[in-house]
Amino acid sequence: MTDLSAQDAPFAGSSGSALVRRRNRKQVIVQGLGLAAISFAALMLFILIASLVSTGYKAFTQTHITVEVFVDPDEVSVEKLPRGGFREVLLASLQKEFPEVTERAELRSLQNIFSNGAQFALRDMVAADHSLVGQTVTLTVPVSDPFDQLAKDLVKRETPEAQRRVNDREIGWFDALDAAGKISQPVNWGLITNADSRFPELAGLKGALVGSFWALLVCFLISFPLGIGAAIYLEEFAPKNRWSDLIEVNINNLAAVPSVVFGLLALAVFIGWFGMPRSAPIVGGMTLALMTMPTIIIATRAALKAVPPSIREAALGVGASKHQVVFGHVLPLAMPGILTGTIIGLAQALGETAPLLLIGMNAFITSAPSSPFDSATALPTQIFIWADSPERGFVSRTSAAILVLLTFLITMNAVAIYLRSKFERKW
Amino acid sequence: MYDTPTLERTVDNSTVKFSARDVHVFYGETEAIKGVDVDILDKTVTAFIGPSGCGKSTFLRCLNRMNDTIDICRVTGKITLDGADIYDKRIDPVQLRAKVGMVFQKPNPFPKSIYDNVAYGPRIHGLARTKADLDVIVEKSLRRAALWTEAKDRLNEPGTGLSGGQQQRLCIARAVATGPEVLLMDEPCSALDPIATAQVEELIDELRQSYSVVIVTHSMQQAARVSQKTAFFHLGDLVEFGETGQIFTNPKDPRTESYITGRIG
Amino acid sequence: MTTAAFLCLFVLAVAGYLWNRQAASAIRANGTRLHSLEGFHGFYALLTVLVPALVLILLWQVLQGPVIDALLKGGISERLDGLGTGEVQLIVAEIKSISRGAVFGTPEQWKFDAAERYVTLNMRSDTLLLVVVLVLSLALVVFSRRKVAAEFRARHGVERIVSGLMIFCSVVAIFATVGIIASLMFETGKFFAKVPVTEFLFGTNWEPQIPLREDQVAAEGAFGWLPVMLGTLVITVIALLVAVPVGLMTAIYLNEFAPKKFRAVAKPFLEILAGVPTVVYGFFAILVVAPAMRNFAAAIGVDVSPNIALAAGSVMGIMLIPFISSFADDALSAVPQSLRDGALGLGATRAEMMLNVLFPAAIPGIVGGVLLAVSRAIGETMIVVMAAGLIAKMTINPLDSVTTVTVQIVTLLIGDTSFDNPKTLAAFALGMMLFIVTLVINVFALRIVRKYREAYD
Repeated sequence: MTDLSAQDAPFAGSSGSALVRRRNRKQVIVQGLGLAAISFAALMLFILIASLVSTGYKAFTQTHITVEVFVDPDEVSVEKLPRGGFREVLLASLQKEFPEVTERAELRSLQNIFSNGAQFALRDMVAADHSLVGQTVTLTVPVSDPFDQLAKDLVKRETPEAQRRVNDREIGWFDALDAAGKISQPVNWGLITNADSRFPELAGLKGALVGSFWALLVCFLISFPLGIGAAIYLEEFAPKNRWSDLIEVNINNLAAVPSVVFGLLALAVFIGWFGMPRSAPIVGGMTLALMTMPTIIIATRAALKAVPPSIREAALGVGASKHQVVFGHVLPLAMPGILTGTIIGLAQALGETAPLLLIGMNAFITSAPSSPFDSATALPTQIFIWADSPERGFVSRTSAAILVLLTFLITMNAVAIYLRSKFERKW
Repeated sequence: MYDTPTLERTVDNSTVKFSARDVHVFYGETEAIKGVDVDILDKTVTAFIGPSGCGKSTFLRCLNRMNDTIDICRVTGKITLDGADIYDKRIDPVQLRAKVGMVFQKPNPFPKSIYDNVAYGPRIHGLARTKADLDVIVEKSLRRAALWTEAKDRLNEPGTGLSGGQQQRLCIARAVATGPEVLLMDEPCSALDPIATAQVEELIDELRQSYSVVIVTHSMQQAARVSQKTAFFHLGDLVEFGETGQIFTNPKDPRTESYITGRIG
Repeated sequence: MTTAAFLCLFVLAVAGYLWNRQAASAIRANGTRLHSLEGFHGFYALLTVLVPALVLILLWQVLQGPVIDALLKGGISERLDGLGTGEVQLIVAEIKSISRGAVFGTPEQWKFDAAERYVTLNMRSDTLLLVVVLVLSLALVVFSRRKVAAEFRARHGVERIVSGLMIFCSVVAIFATVGIIASLMFETGKFFAKVPVTEFLFGTNWEPQIPLREDQVAAEGAFGWLPVMLGTLVITVIALLVAVPVGLMTAIYLNEFAPKKFRAVAKPFLEILAGVPTVVYGFFAILVVAPAMRNFAAAIGVDVSPNIALAAGSVMGIMLIPFISSFADDALSAVPQSLRDGALGLGATRAEMMLNVLFPAAIPGIVGGVLLAVSRAIGETMIVVMAAGLIAKMTINPLDSVTTVTVQIVTLLIGDTSFDNPKTLAAFALGMMLFIVTLVINVFALRIVRKYREAYD
C-alpha cells in the first residue's frame, strides 16, 4: 500500500476498483440528471418563445390594399357629412377593376376584401378635407382578415375550397389585385395605435397599453410610498414585540396570497362597498398596489438590512437622531436595492391578470381611456380576451400582444438587473 | 483499508510521506504560495506556523487537493505522496482524500447521528462488508479519538448535539475511520476552549503512533507542545523548516526569530 | 374642483414651510440659539398642514359618492317606494347618465329634475370641500407659525409626525389582510344564508346554475365544493410531479456541478421563465401543449377530453420549475461550507456529498419551498382558466377534464355581477376556502423556511 506508484490505479480504494467505478457512475448519473432537468426547462422556454414568435411575427405586418377611389358626389355630399355612401364609393373603385362582377351576392363578397374600417378611413379623410368630394383619391387601407391570412399563407391554397374561408373566385380577385401591385404588406402600426376591435385586422393594443399605464401608475403611486414607509418603520423603528411579529408574518403571508383573492377583495370592497367604477384602471391600480406592497416591503427591508451597522453607529456617534441616521444615511445607501425590488414588483403587477378579470378590466372597449377613471383593459387582460376570441386572425394578434408584453417585462427586469449590478456594493 | 489496517504497519520513522517541490499556488492573479519545498515524514507531527495570510492553510489544502473545489485556484510544482504525484491527471482526488484525511478549523459534524457521522467514510469507500464490521470500525475510531466512553451510549443522537470539543473529536474520529495514512489538521483547536484543546492535543500525540500528522496552528505554544517538526511560513514562502526544538530555541532565519519573539505576527 | 383643493393645499403648505423657516432664521439672526434647525421648523409647518388636510380630502372623496346618492334617493323617495334594489340602481344610474348629458329615449320629467339636483349637489360638495380645505390649511399655517420659538423642539415634532406616517403605512398592510378576511366573510355569510354550510362542505355536486325566472323548477343549483377541490388537487399533483423533480435536479446541478459560466447563463434563463406572466403560460397551454397531447393520444388511440387536465397541470409544472429550483438552490447554498469540506475531506465524491450530506441538511428549506409551490399551484388562476374545464366532476383521471376553485371563481364573477344571488356569492365562498387553505400552507411553509434559515445563521 505504501508504494502507490507501483499500482496500476494509484489511490484506488482497497476494496477494488469495481466500487470506484460504481461511485463514479453514480456521479455521472447525478450530473446527467441535472443537465437533463435544465435542458428540459430550457427546451420548454425555447418552445414557448418559438411558438409565440412563429405565430406572432405575422401580426407585425398587415396586408393593405391600395385603390383609386372616385369620391362620387352622388353618393357623398358635403352637406350630409359625416354620413354618406362610402361603402358604395369603395365598392365602385373595385368594380372598375373587375367589371365582370355584377351579381349582388358576388358584389358583396367583392366588398369584403376591404376591412370594415376602410369606409371610416375614407370618411375621416373626406370630413377633414371637403374639397375631396368629386375628386379621385388614392387610399391604402387594411384588407379584411380572411384575405390578410391568405396573403400571409395562413390560409393554404391547397386546402379544399369547402374548408377554406376564401373561395377560389375570391382568391382569383386577390391574386389579380396583387399582380396589379395594389397589395402591400407594410409594418402594422395599427397594432399599437388602434384600440380593440371586433375585426382582427383593425384590433390594436392602444387601449390596453394606456390602461396598463394608468393602472401601473396608480399602483406605483400607492405601493411605493406605503411600502417604503412600512419597511422603514418595521426594520428601523418598530419595537420587537408581538405586534411587529404579527405584522411581519402578515406581510410574508400577504405576498403568498393567491392573486385571485385580491380580485375578490377589490370586487367586494372597492366596487361593492365604496361604489368605485367597474373596469377602471384606478381600481385595477389599487388592487395591484395591495399585491405589490408586500414585495416592495420585503425588498426594502432586505436592502436596509444590508447597510452595515457601522454606518449607523458612525452617524449616531456624531449626535444624529435616529431619524436623521435613517433618512440621511441608511435610506440613500439602500435606495438601489429598493428601486430594484420596486421595478421587479411592478413587472409582476404588469403581468397580473386574474384580479383584473374580476374587477371587469376585460371589457370590450374600442377607445383608449383618457383618465384612470374610464373603462379600460390592460395588456394581460387584452391577451386573455384575444386568446378567447374565435376569429383565426386573433391567434397571431395574441402572440404578438404577448411578445409586446414580454418586451416590456424583459426591459423592466433588465433595468432592475442593471441597477443591481451597477450599485451593488460589498461591505 | 480494512484489509490492511495501518496500525500494524511498521515503518521507519524517517520515511518521507509527502514530498513537495517548488509548489506555487495562485488565486486568480495573486500568488499565495511562492515555491515551497518540504518533506513530511511518516509517524511525525509536523506543525505549520506563521502569521495569518502566510499561506500555511493554503499549502495544507494542497496536500489533499481540497483547493480543487475553488474555481480560481491553480497549483503548479510537484507534490508526491509515497512517491506518486498527487496532481497527476490519473489521480482521483476522491481516492486521495480517503488516504489523506482532514480535520477543519471549526467542528463540522454532519447533521446526522454520531454513528452515521463516523460510519459515513467507511460506507462510501466500501470498507465494511457487514454491519458488524462497520460497528467495529466505528468503535475503534471513536476510541482512537478518545470519544468512545462519552459517546457509546448516545451513538444514535445527532452529532450536532455534542459540545464543541466533543464535536471536534467526533470529526477526528470521522477522519480516522476511513483509515487514512496522513491526517491534515487546519487549526483544529481554534474554536475550542482550553480544556477541549488539551484533550485534542493529547489525542494528536497519540495519533502520531499510526499516522503522519500535519497541523496548522496559530499558537506557537501548541506547535511546541505537539510537533516534532515545524515549518515557518511567511508571506507565501517557507522560511524555515526543521526540528521543532531547533526552530524555537535556535532559529536560523531572522524572520523566524522575529515571529517567535513576537515582533511580527 | 378637487384639483383646485389640492393646489390650494400645496401652495399653503409650501407657504407655511417658507414662513416658519424664515421666522426661525430671524430668531437665529438675533443671536438666540435654536433647539432645532430652521429647516425643521419649516418641515413642521409643511407636515402639520399637509397631513390633516390630505386625510380630509381623501375621506371626502370616499364619502361624497354614497352621501350624495343617499340625498338623491331621499329627494325622490316617493318614486322609489316599493321598488327592488335592482330597479332603484337602474333609476339612479339613469339619472346619473342624464346628468352627464347622455339621454336615451324620453325619460320622465322627475328624472330630469333629479339629475339637476344631482349636479347641484355635486357642485355644492366640491365648493364646500374647497372652502373647508382652505380654512383648515390656513388655520394650521397660523397654528404652526405661532409655535416657532427658540426652545420649540421642531425636530421632535417632525420626527413624531413622520413616525406616525410610517406606522400608518405598516397598518395598511394589516388592513389588506383584514379587508380580505372581512369581505370574504361578509359575502360568504350571505352565501351560507342561502345555501347550507354542510351542503357546501360535503356536497359532491357542483352545478351553480340559478333559475332565470322565479317559478323555474329546472335548476336549483348545487353547491358542493368537493369535486371542485378534487379537480384542484388533480392539477396540483400533476404540476408538482413535473416541477419537483425537474426543479430539484436543476438546483442540484446549478449549485454543485455547473461550471461558473454555465451557471451565469442558466440563472437568468430561469429568471425569465419565472417572470413570464401566467396568462402567457395559459395561451401556451391552449396553443401548443393541449393540441400536442390530444394528437399524441389520438395517435396511440387513447380517448382524452379536449380540456385535458394533464395539459393545464404540466404547463403549471413548467411555471413552478424556477420557483422550486430557486428555493432549493437557496436552501443548498445555506448549508455551511464546512459541511461540504467535511464530506470532501473524507473522500466523498461530489455526488455523494450532495446526496448524503447537503441534500439531507437542506431538506427543511426545500420542503418549505415545495409547500409554497403547492400553495401557488392551488391559487394559480390564468393557466387553468384558459386550459382547464368548466364542469366539475368527481374524477382523478388526469386525461379527463377537471375544473378548479380558481376557474369557478373567475367564471362565476366574469360579466355583470350583483351581490345578491347565490351564484356570485358562491364565488366568495370558494375564495374563502382558497384563502384558508393557502394561508394554512403558507404559514406552515414560511415557518419551516424561517426555522431553517435560523439554524444555519
